[in-house]
Amino acid sequence: MIKDLVSFLDYSSCAEVALTLFVCTFFLIFFGAFRLSNSATEKFAAIPLSDRVEDPRSE
Amino acid sequence: MDTHVANQSGQPDADDTTTQRTTEMESFSYDDGIVRMFATATIIWALVGTLAGLIVALLLVMPSLTGGLPWLSFGRLRPLHTNAAIFAFAGNAIFAAVYYSTQRLCKTRMWSDLLGRVHFWGWQLIIVAAAVTLPLGITQGKEYAELEWPIDLLIAVVWLVIFGGNFLMTLINRRERHMYVALWFYIATIVTVAVLHVFNNLVVPAGLFKGYSVYAGVQDAFMQWWYGHNAVAFFLTTPFLGLMYYFLPKAADRPVFSYRLSIIHFWSLVFIYIWAGPHHLHYTALPEWASTLGMLFSLMLWMPSWGGMINGLLTLRGAWHKVAADPVLKFFVVGVTFYGMSTFEGPMLSIKSVNSLSHYTDWTIAHVHSGALGWNGFMAFGMLYWLLPRIYQTKVWSDKLVSLHFWTGTIGILLYIIPIYAAGLMQGLMWREMDETGNLAYPDFIETVQEIVPLWWLRVVGGALYVGGVVMLCINALMTWLNRPATYDVPVYSAPALSKHYVEQTKEANTGLEEVPMLDAAKGLSVWARMGWHRRWERLPVRFTILTTLAVVIATLFELVPTFLIRSNVPTIATVKPYTPLELAGRHIFVAEGCYNCHSQMIRPMVHETKRYGEYSKPGEFIYDRPFQWGSRRIGPDLAREGGRQSSFWHWRHFEIPTEFNEGSVMPSYEHLLTATLNYDEIAPHVKAAWQLGAPYSDEDLNNSKQVAFKQAERIAADIVAQGGPANTMDKQAIALIAYLQRIGTDLFATEEAAATEAPAVEAPAEEAPAEQPVTDDAAGDETAATTETE
Repeated sequence: MIKDLVSFLDYSSCAEVALTLFVCTFFLIFFGAFRLSNSATEKFAAIPLSDRVEDPRSE
Repeated sequence: MDTHVANQSGQPDADDTTTQRTTEMESFSYDDGIVRMFATATIIWALVGTLAGLIVALLLVMPSLTGGLPWLSFGRLRPLHTNAAIFAFAGNAIFAAVYYSTQRLCKTRMWSDLLGRVHFWGWQLIIVAAAVTLPLGITQGKEYAELEWPIDLLIAVVWLVIFGGNFLMTLINRRERHMYVALWFYIATIVTVAVLHVFNNLVVPAGLFKGYSVYAGVQDAFMQWWYGHNAVAFFLTTPFLGLMYYFLPKAADRPVFSYRLSIIHFWSLVFIYIWAGPHHLHYTALPEWASTLGMLFSLMLWMPSWGGMINGLLTLRGAWHKVAADPVLKFFVVGVTFYGMSTFEGPMLSIKSVNSLSHYTDWTIAHVHSGALGWNGFMAFGMLYWLLPRIYQTKVWSDKLVSLHFWTGTIGILLYIIPIYAAGLMQGLMWREMDETGNLAYPDFIETVQEIVPLWWLRVVGGALYVGGVVMLCINALMTWLNRPATYDVPVYSAPALSKHYVEQTKEANTGLEEVPMLDAAKGLSVWARMGWHRRWERLPVRFTILTTLAVVIATLFELVPTFLIRSNVPTIATVKPYTPLELAGRHIFVAEGCYNCHSQMIRPMVHETKRYGEYSKPGEFIYDRPFQWGSRRIGPDLAREGGRQSSFWHWRHFEIPTEFNEGSVMPSYEHLLTATLNYDEIAPHVKAAWQLGAPYSDEDLNNSKQVAFKQAERIAADIVAQGGPANTMDKQAIALIAYLQRIGTDLFATEEAAATEAPAVEAPAEEAPAEQPVTDDAAGDETAATTETE
């Protein structure tokens, strides 16, 4: 059954599917990253500077 | 700094709205002993790796420097240099960075001190094993994956189980809720290097010191450069970006410029890098769709790479005055700038038309060294100079020496790469130049080498300066260590453990759109787009690790599955047969001597290549090649059609005195092959391993490998005598190597009958092509099968 399934698949479109997958993911991450609040990014960016334990760090 | 107590109160804020209410304080200290160990190893291996580089650079301009000693030939030492630079120097620098920063970013000690020590000594054992086996010619013959299978097993255990396990458990036991972006890069490094290493090194053992790759030819090439490129990506880039995101803000005392950009940087790199490997195989026998896909993703890499560079440099906004005074920041600034240069140049070199000129030339070497010396070297040096006073708890011995190291190293890099860029361009242009009659302007390969030898001398000067800088680092580190206190101060911190349950401070459901007349789906989308889900991932190390693994594996499968499953990618050629037992032994010697470091076996479908070397290479010609030997640099000519070009006695003499036939040749003497005895008893395991991997050997070949090999050796020895050479040479290693060289590239022109009756390869010269195949002049790789091919 697996053999039939693999034989049925059309691998030739792999490159196009891959590219689409990448573009969608990229824009998803890009869009999401710029929805982050300023306070959250400032807190996260300051983590290595401070040895104080701040818990929780959140938005 | 690090010596103050991390959390004076240890109490959550009064207005905290989470369920975190742990009041029980835990005391902990950081394990800086392991950082000291890895930092010391980094400094020592920096000296060894760069010295080895200087020696191999000298061997190219003075081939007889080591007096023909086989253990010190260019072919054996070049892998030693690359392994020492990548896995010893850069590897130990990565570990020093990870052990120092992870503890502080997680506000916890490493999970296990013992595992840290086992990791350290295990890794040094691997390096020493590499330093012993590579000069002895024990190698898999795949760039940056040369180490044989027992060492590979040790790497897998030390890297994934010991280092990876300790790291992941530290993340799980952290006291800082949010995982900082540097930790993401470390996670990606650990996971991806493990995946790359395991799948590229799958072999069938043929003894303790030899394994045959389960992949052959085109598929082996594809796997190797999937590994090779991503070794650069996930061993020399992502961990150093993690290092940059931690140590650069620390040194500048500024938060990273844009945390948003770091998120995009991370996911884009992880997702794109893994696809880019095939750009190392443009115009080869690799299917063109894979090559184009690799090029496209390589071009896309430019965006996130420069995003990272900009993020690094802009972290210094408002702090540029510090750069003028602080040599640590100078190292970081130049390092990040070289990262930007290399990651611009890399995508450019992946463009096919550019690649057709640059590939196999010194251009690639210059590109690699601008990244290795500039980016990896300078980031590691910057980190070490920042760490030294902190881990040894005293001032750096000489700030002036740090500055001198910086300037010596910078000038050394420039003196190295500029001549080598020029050498690459010169040689690439000379290879393709035609005269007015349409013939090669430089038909003798040696002419194109002699022209660039003066530039190689300049590289030696640049390399010596860079090594000089490393010596300064060694002296400074040693003197700083000597000034250390009698006992190190070990600050104790206290903080509450993280609670297992965590509720967001911000209620995600509250979109502010409750009263707005719109579809529920749109409201849901608005909530989703706030990326609370990503924030959750950033707090869950196991889930984050799994997702990173998925990103890498899915991308890999999209390339690998078609390459392995579409049969038309590698059309079979009926006349291509397995190597005879003697040829297989000769091929083993070819690999052991590291001949692939100078000679490619891949003729690209370009007019100037086919005019120089003969018929271009076909995918089906390599189905028994384990490992593939396409090479990546032509210091000597391509050997893909070497079979039958010269007499066996010519090869014999050429091994002994290469300059006798090519005045000015930079090939060292391989006289030892003329005297070393070939052990015929050791041939059988090679034949058996090849048979287990699918090579159709006869019972005679399998059961009487020794006798079959000896008969062929007698024929070649007789040829040598007939051609005026010495007698009784059949038991010498050179005979096996000659057998292999005389076979390379001849099967394409053999007839079925001739192949069946084991026609000596020497009788099928490359010029006797059955039909002239269309070739392109720098056009896309031609997938047209030769007339002898069958689908």
